[in-house]
Amino acid sequence: MALLNIQDVTKVYEGKVTHRAINQLSFEVEKGEFLAVMGPSGSGKTTLLNMISTIDTQTSGDIVINGIKPTELKKNDLAYFRRRQLGFVFQDFNLLQMLTVEENMVLPLSLDDQDPSMMQERVQLVAKQLGIEDILQKRPNEISGGQAQRTAIGRAIIHKPSLLLADEPTGNLDSKASGDVLQLLGRINKEENTTIVMVTHDPIAASYCDRVLFIKDGEYFNEIYKDNHRQTFFQAILNVLSLLGGHVGDFSTIRIP
Amino acid sequence: MTFRQFAFRNVIRNRRVYAAFFLSSVASVMVFFIYSMLMFHPKLENEFLQEIAFQGMVIAEVILVLFMLFFLLYSMRAFLEARLTEFGLLLQLGMEKRKLNKLILFETMIIGMAAIIVGILFGYAFAKFFFMIVREILQIDSLPLYFSWKPFALTISIFTSLFVIISFISVMFIKDVHLVSLLRGYWRNEQLSKFSVWRGLLGMLLLLAAYIMASQIQKQYLVIFTILTPPFAVLGTYWFFTDSVPFLLSRLRAHKKWYWKKYHIISLAKISAIMRENARMFFITCMVSTLAFLAVGTLSSMSTFTHQYHQLNPLGLVYSSKYGNPYEREHITGLINELEEKGLSYHLNKFDIKRQTSSYTKRSVKIMKQSDINRLAIVFGYPVVNLRPGEAMFLPYSLDSINELKTKKVNTVLEENNVSLSIDKVYPKVLFSPTELGTNVIIVNDIDFHMIIDPIQGAETRQSTTHIFVFYVPQWTETKDIGTDLDVMVSNAYVANKQDQLPFYFENPGLDYSFFRSTFALLLFIGLLASTVFFLASGSFIYFKLYTGLEEDKKQFDTLRRMGVTHKELRKIVDSQLITQFFLPWGLAMLHSTFAFMALQVFWKGIADLSIIKETIIVLAGITAIQICYFYLIRWRYLAHIRA
Repeated sequence: MALLNIQDVTKVYEGKVTHRAINQLSFEVEKGEFLAVMGPSGSGKTTLLNMISTIDTQTSGDIVINGIKPTELKKNDLAYFRRRQLGFVFQDFNLLQMLTVEENMVLPLSLDDQDPSMMQERVQLVAKQLGIEDILQKRPNEISGGQAQRTAIGRAIIHKPSLLLADEPTGNLDSKASGDVLQLLGRINKEENTTIVMVTHDPIAASYCDRVLFIKDGEYFNEIYKDNHRQTFFQAILNVLSLLGGHVGDFSTIRIP
Repeated sequence: MTFRQFAFRNVIRNRRVYAAFFLSSVASVMVFFIYSMLMFHPKLENEFLQEIAFQGMVIAEVILVLFMLFFLLYSMRAFLEARLTEFGLLLQLGMEKRKLNKLILFETMIIGMAAIIVGILFGYAFAKFFFMIVREILQIDSLPLYFSWKPFALTISIFTSLFVIISFISVMFIKDVHLVSLLRGYWRNEQLSKFSVWRGLLGMLLLLAAYIMASQIQKQYLVIFTILTPPFAVLGTYWFFTDSVPFLLSRLRAHKKWYWKKYHIISLAKISAIMRENARMFFITCMVSTLAFLAVGTLSSMSTFTHQYHQLNPLGLVYSSKYGNPYEREHITGLINELEEKGLSYHLNKFDIKRQTSSYTKRSVKIMKQSDINRLAIVFGYPVVNLRPGEAMFLPYSLDSINELKTKKVNTVLEENNVSLSIDKVYPKVLFSPTELGTNVIIVNDIDFHMIIDPIQGAETRQSTTHIFVFYVPQWTETKDIGTDLDVMVSNAYVANKQDQLPFYFENPGLDYSFFRSTFALLLFIGLLASTVFFLASGSFIYFKLYTGLEEDKKQFDTLRRMGVTHKELRKIVDSQLITQFFLPWGLAMLHSTFAFMALQVFWKGIADLSIIKETIIVLAGITAIQICYFYLIRWRYLAHIRA
């Protein structure tokens, strides 16, 4: 059974100008899958992610995560659902500046009132997995972007969520750090069998995934699956992007190696 | 669009951003203008200024201006910080730094001028109301509303220069900063708090020492206390905020069992950040609040003082004349003439007082006869005394002594004349103050009184018998100009320590009272000034701080919401940080003033037998209530902003 099921979801923003951000979109994500959602600016990627992350609600259609419809939950239960089932990685990390790396990572567990000694163990384990054991006592403004994003990933996976959502996780990183972070996400996906949905602009980032879903103007456009070779997968992604139209601003700078 | 139009539209169209700064300016102008109105009041020049030194009010105004300069500067700075990104954008578009300064100056002047006009208008509208309050407190004749150019000129000139100074100083805040950091918001750097454990401990120790000194204070150490405690408290408070609190927080953070539970991590970290940014601010707020609390508390005890003063000195003028006083007739006629000249009604009563040695205490006791007391009691509408021969009654000297003497039963013999008395009652009202008659006075039946013939041991008749003339004046506060020459003679004799040689004693409660009142009046002005501006300022400081960090906070709370923080938890986090800002400096100020009042009580006991506990509690409770309202108001606004 699919972990995430999106069924005929439509999102309309009412206002002076009514805007249809998502239109009749349907797809499924299997458990343990690593999915990238791509599309040009304004295609509704972030709206989609916000709805999956339950901080926004769809106008019509159904979203089912792990057998639960978040829209049917009460406010508090929804918060509990987010803190137990979901993990988030943001483009600009969104680490809390006043907390140390360790405290940032431990936050989801402490919100859920877990036992501190168990939390300590988890932190050590995850930090080792992410290679950030040395910087646990540092503040977010004392570490590099790559380290900050790894901390954010640590925060997102420490409570073993069933679904990890990432919004342009490599948007603020240099190519080396981007590669590291993406490999890390891939490894977490394989080793922990964590389901990941990642929204991205970057075809390189998308090429680390199992499947890439393209949307355009809020509607399903195409999807392609990974093959054995990442290079050819990347090429395939570029081909679809060129079909999407010339409005993908950041893809013109990328030349095939 | 000309440059001026640009500045003008900036202000007009960004009303919401400028509103907070504008309102705090209006409030400052208003307070200042009302005080100027009072200072230049034509009626005050005649009657009032004899009592309150004009200089006192000027000093109060200077303090007010300095405080407002500080307050406006702070507001301006917070307000500019919120707009730094906007300035960065203007510089990026190619605006010269000089032109930017001009823009800020121009905008400040627009807001300033508007604030001055609105503030004066509101001030003029509320002036009458304020005069009424002042009139009630000081018990003076009506203070009519008047029109004179002086307060207007003073307010306009002071505030115009204030705004110019502020805009010049605040321009310097954005001096040597790179454009990039302006655009990114360099001012929001979060650094680790650095504190010294030693200073932290020392701060707490100093505060503790000051508190112990204040609570254990005895009358004879009052001077040492006054010299030593304030510096202890000030230094202790400073270190408490800069070092002790961060130290305690870091101790708390080491406690993972507690610290890692629920939202404690976020709350505590937020509080640490707030402490780091605002330690100095909190220190100033705390000290100013302490001063304001003290001033208001002291003032509120003034009403008790007036009331109790009258209860303790109900008689009006008292002239006591020793036996054979040659001036007696001359002085009494003089007093009568003065009273009639002033048109004050009075009752004159004459008392005979004899002194005897009591066999019970072996000390001297003053004796009055019941017919004298009854004559006075009828005038006051007090209960009359009905004693049989052999019975006697205590005459209390203070309110406390009534309760004390109520249960006392004494059987005594007046040794010189062998008159035996049983004293088991107390007169239920205070008639004479202890300075007039002393503390050991009894009332006896007329028959017993006439049996006292022999003078007290070791004295002649002259020293043993006294006449007391009591002028009961219903308008007792008006008698301050009566008998001033007698008062001077009595005080001179006291100064020269020759009061025993003076054949008379004169007391004028009206004069003493007017002296106390004018001292209080001065305190009242400074106190009211300080507390008005304080309330205005402390809330606005917090508001400005919150406003400046709003965007950052919004982002943080958004992250937290995604991580599954419920509304209730979010509110608790906001509460914990707002409560720290609102109630930590203020709570410490409360504690300071409580201990200061303890010391003050000792002082009060010294000059008058009265308690200020009740008034103090009422005042502190009142301030607490206002503060709580303020807290809920700001919390409501802040939560609305955060959720938006």
